[in-house]
This record gives sequence, C-alpha cells and structure tokens, in this order.
Amino acid sequence: MPDQEPQNRGHNRRDFLRGSGLAAAGAVLGGQATAAYEEAKADLIAEQGAKVVSGEVEITLKINGENKAVKVEPRCTLLDTLRDRLEITGPKRVCDRASCGACTVIIDGEAVYSCTTLAITCQGKTIETVEGFDTGPKGVPHAFHQHDGLMCGYCTPGFVTACKNFLDKNKGKEVTLEDVKKGLDGNICRCGTYIGVFEAALAAAKAMK
Amino acid sequence: MKAFEFAGPTTPELAVQALAGKAGAEALGGGTDLVNRMKDYVSSPSRIVYLKDIAGFRHTDATPTGLTIGAGITLANLLADPVVAKDYPGLRQAALEVGTPQIRAMATVGGNLLQRPRCWYYRSGFGLLAMKDGKSMVRAGDNRYHAIFMTEGDALFVAPSSLAIPLIALGATATIQGGEGKRTIPVERLYQVPKPGMERELTIKAEEVLLSITVPPAKGKNASYEARWKQSHDWPLALCSVNLTMDGEAVSDARIILGAVAPVPLRSSAAEDSIKGKAINMTTADVAAAAAVSTAKPLSMNKYKVNLTKTVIKRALMSAAGKHYWEA
Repeated sequence: MPDQEPQNRGHNRRDFLRGSGLAAAGAVLGGQATAAYEEAKADLIAEQGAKVVSGEVEITLKINGENKAVKVEPRCTLLDTLRDRLEITGPKRVCDRASCGACTVIIDGEAVYSCTTLAITCQGKTIETVEGFDTGPKGVPHAFHQHDGLMCGYCTPGFVTACKNFLDKNKGKEVTLEDVKKGLDGNICRCGTYIGVFEAALAAAKAMK
Repeated sequence: MKAFEFAGPTTPELAVQALAGKAGAEALGGGTDLVNRMKDYVSSPSRIVYLKDIAGFRHTDATPTGLTIGAGITLANLLADPVVAKDYPGLRQAALEVGTPQIRAMATVGGNLLQRPRCWYYRSGFGLLAMKDGKSMVRAGDNRYHAIFMTEGDALFVAPSSLAIPLIALGATATIQGGEGKRTIPVERLYQVPKPGMERELTIKAEEVLLSITVPPAKGKNASYEARWKQSHDWPLALCSVNLTMDGEAVSDARIILGAVAPVPLRSSAAEDSIKGKAINMTTADVAAAAAVSTAKPLSMNKYKVNLTKTVIKRALMSAAGKHYWEA
C-alpha cells in the first residue's frame, strides 16, 4: 500500500557555515557575522551525512491554510507551539500525555494528539484546528451547539475536531451510534456529556450528507 | 522534557549514522510512547532521530513469499491494508484494539513493537527491574498488572506490544538495519528478559533501525483475542494470538502466543500440544487453556489474570474456528 511520499521538509540551512568551518568562522568573525554564526549554530550542527538541528529553529507550519513562521526548539510539541507561540488556542492542554483528546488537531487528514507531536516534524504538512471549521448550519460546531454537546466546554474543541475528521472519513456512509462511539473513543469528557456529543455527531452526519 | 538535538534523515542508512553519531540518541516514530517518556524524564535522549518521514518505511508489499510491512506505517495504515484484512485477521484484530483512533493514526508498527513497558515502577523512574535495597518493589508492592509467568526471575513487568503477539504466532521476521548492513531475525528475538546488570528488554542495538516485518503467507486460521479494563485506550490485561494449520477438522500444527503475562511474548507449547490432532470446540479449547496456565505463578495481586488468560486463549481458539460464542 503506497503511502504519500513525504515532501521536502528541509530546514533553512546555512551551508556557508558547515562543520569545522562553523567553529573557525566563529573564532575570527565579529559584529554582524558573529550574530549570524550564533544563529547558524543554533540552527544546524553539520555532520557528515545526517542533518542535525538544535536550539531554536525557525520552521514554517501550514495551519488552517495559512503559512506561519515560528521559532521553536525541537522539544516543543505542536500543541504548545500552537497555543503559546501562535495564539491558536482551540486545541486544549489537559492531560498532555495522549490520553484525553482535548488537544486533537488534524494533520494531513488524520486526527492526532498535538500534545504528543513535535512541532518540528509537522513542516510541510497540512494542519487543521477547530478555528478553521465551518461554523454554518452544516458544520460540526453548529451541531454541538444545537444538541448541547458540552458542559464546561474544555474538551469540546477536541471532540469537535475528532468528530469532523471521523465524519469526513465516513462521508456518504450510514453512520450509526456504535460507529460514532468507536470513532470518538479517543476523547474524554469529565463532565460526562456524552449523550449530547453523540447526538451532535449523528446530527452533523445527517447535515453533511 | 530535556532539550535534544533533532535529526530528520531521509534514508535508513543516514538514520543509522545519526543514531551512532551521538551517545544517548534515540529513534522516534509516531511519538506516542517516547514523547511521553521524555516528558516524564523516564527517557532523556541526547538526540532524536525522526524515522517517520523515511519514504521506504511507509508501505506494505505483498509478494509470494509473504507480506512485508514497513516499520514506519501507522496502525491506521495497517488496518486499511486489504491483504492484512483478508489473510491476517489475528494481526488486524490486535491492531484494531490498540489505543484510540488518534493513537492509531500516529503510532507506527515499529514503534508498537519497540515501545517500552508500561510497568508503573518503570514509568515512575525506578528502572525496569524496580529494585530497592536488593528487593523487588513490584513483588512487595502493587503488582496487579504485572507478570503471571516467569515470576521467579527479577523482571516482573509485561511486554507491552500488542502486535508482537500475532506476528510471532504468524512466524513473522524483523529486518533490522545496522552499521554493517541488514540482518533478519524472528520477531520473538526482538525481546529478551533483562536481569541485574543488563537492564534492557529489547535486543535491538542503540544504533540499529527496525526496517520492516515480513509475515509469511497465511495458511490455516489465525485469530487474536484480548481482555482489557477499558473498552478503548488501554493495554491488554491478557492477549492471545493463535495460528492454526488444519487437516480437515483437526488441528495439525499450532502456534499459541500469549501477551501481557510475562516480560517477553510467551509461546505456550503445552497449549499447542494439547490441541494438535483435535477439532476445536469448547472442550478442547478449555483443555488447551488449562494446559497453558498450569505453569503460571501469579504475584500477590494478580491471580485474576490467570483466569483471564484462560479465557483469552479459549476465545482466540474459538475465534479462529469462527465460533464467537461470547457474542451470542
């Protein structure tokens, strides 16, 4: 089963400052050049064969159709990058351990946990968050509103995102309550408002037809 | 999470080079295990080598000698594969019950096989053997989810991979890329029982990369059945995969593998021997299950797992025979 070939996700390389040249350049350059050296050091430790980055790296993420440049360390999760650096606060930080679903986003058409995805691995991919969804009468957010699919609301963006992805994947199919339960079992609601969530999902499935 | 260097190699050879290039480097697939271990400071790699974008890792290939599954394909990809659905229902069933839709969209086959144990002493930083003053914290402590076989040893955690169980039942092999080229081993040889001074349950070396799994052509019947606490988002309490060669109604050859009951995937030759030459029905399945657990030595809090293990063996055998009696 062939999978989609990954696109070129190369980082901005500063090839003029590679390898041992990097240290040598740092030793003799001053002023602006030193700043460039520091930046390059953070961005790239050149090594034979493999490209390695550390420190702050500038990456570009395509979120809800818009390219956004952001500086992150390799250890930054996509969730923290979205919330703390890009002010995209739909995805919520709850368990931060891939256990609750509140951070769900859609990457290249698949609902995933953004708390357990490193931002640096998302370059060149298409990221969708709840902010980009259709809020009109045929959209999933409207169905949640109409069917009271929330109480405190903190899990809701994750549920809406997982629900939209599940329904997009099952377009044209007759979706049953059992299907909805299985499709949304990666999300947890501590208030326990599952009945409203399931009703909203079934109504949204009808509206999308 | 501690800071680390990040490498995104484009070929398996470059990945091996990047892993060998720094002590403490670790490979990253879907991240559902490693990223959480890093957040909890159970693992703090100096360098992450990201494997999921390596193109060659991400497809399955059906040939007359079997199905080759790239280590980088996700469990969702595996579930969508028509050959898996048709020939390897035991593998499909085990994959279907892993985690949640989101986990299955992220997690890779290689990552599932090489995930680290879920033992809460290990996950709390006490090490795989969880020894304190020369004594096992597991044996004296809360061991409700721990091993019921091989418990005379020091390793009391259970091997966590759900996919390893059907793959071993099916006789699958793993192909591994190292610095000196590729090697192929049976999937069961990915695992070992750690002991004091050798606290590693995986045999793969730090600089090696799991490339693919090859499952031989299916013959006969295969099935898996697992018991969990939760309906989803949980690891099995007990899991059984069977692969049966049939001679008419009778079983001529059997492989019966148990998961989540020992520090390695466990093959039950006692159960296999008891079912050979017989038809599968409630009586013979019961006898096979009883034979399998006759050597179980549960810990202080997990005797219930012995009965659960009997049930999953019985249900896996009956499922292979197409008799889902518990659904009626």
